[in-house]
Amino acid sequence: MERLIVDEEGKITIPQEIIHKRGLRPGDELALIETAEGLLVYQGGVDLKSQQRWDSLNENERRLAIEEARRYEALSEQEREAIWQADAESIEPEAESDEIDLPTR
Amino acid sequence: MTFQPASVLFDKNVIRRVYERRVRLALGQPPTLLQAEAANAYDRLCALTNRLYITEQIANILQRRPAVFASAFLADTRTLKKARYLRRWARRLRELSFSPEDAIIIAYGSFGIDLTMPAVGVEIIVTGDLKLASHFNARQEEIRRRFENMISSLSEPYQTLVLPSIVTPTDILLV
Repeated sequence: MERLIVDEEGKITIPQEIIHKRGLRPGDELALIETAEGLLVYQGGVDLKSQQRWDSLNENERRLAIEEARRYEALSEQEREAIWQADAESIEPEAESDEIDLPTR
Repeated sequence: MTFQPASVLFDKNVIRRVYERRVRLALGQPPTLLQAEAANAYDRLCALTNRLYITEQIANILQRRPAVFASAFLADTRTLKKARYLRRWARRLRELSFSPEDAIIIAYGSFGIDLTMPAVGVEIIVTGDLKLASHFNARQEEIRRRFENMISSLSEPYQTLVLPSIVTPTDILLV
């Protein structure tokens, strides 16, 4: 982790060592992401896919997405865990009947 | 350095974080650090290969989630099925102190089958679980030895299977 100081104009200087290590050149674009915990700097941009996905939704889909997002955010951590822990797969021999044989050449 | 994985399996933590990043985006809220990392790594990998995979468990979970969030993941990824001996390998991994959940994701990395190609196993597994990644990497030699012992006793098509690498979203963003 590097410590950066913001100057009077709001500029920060990336240490030379990092510039060389990351192969940064003048004009390269970095993404500054405001997260819930602080700021992140990424080489290669922000996750455009999430933004593009959001931008591609029509008005009705956005309304649905916001409603669903509110419902999801209102869940407790325990309730969210239950969603993502569902359908855990067994590793016991009795469960092996759904395994598929690889074809022989 | 060229980083061009041919095939990638996302674990549940990564998919969950990207999903939750999109939930927060819908609400106009910033992502958490972990969500931002997972979403950026997911994005980068989507641009590098179209062989992106999830396990059957994650596919089942996503199929029950509202389509407005889940359908994009199901469109981006394919679901790996379990080839014979996947669970046997998972049980051997349990002997090396992996949890059942960790053991099965690692086993999918070698014995997960893409029926659309068909292809077996993946080059990398991306996990949001740092403990899983570090435990796997610390015991890799022993895991490899056990894996090779196991596949050498199986019939011919299984003898060419390989172990995946396990990386975190941070690793993806640093290469």
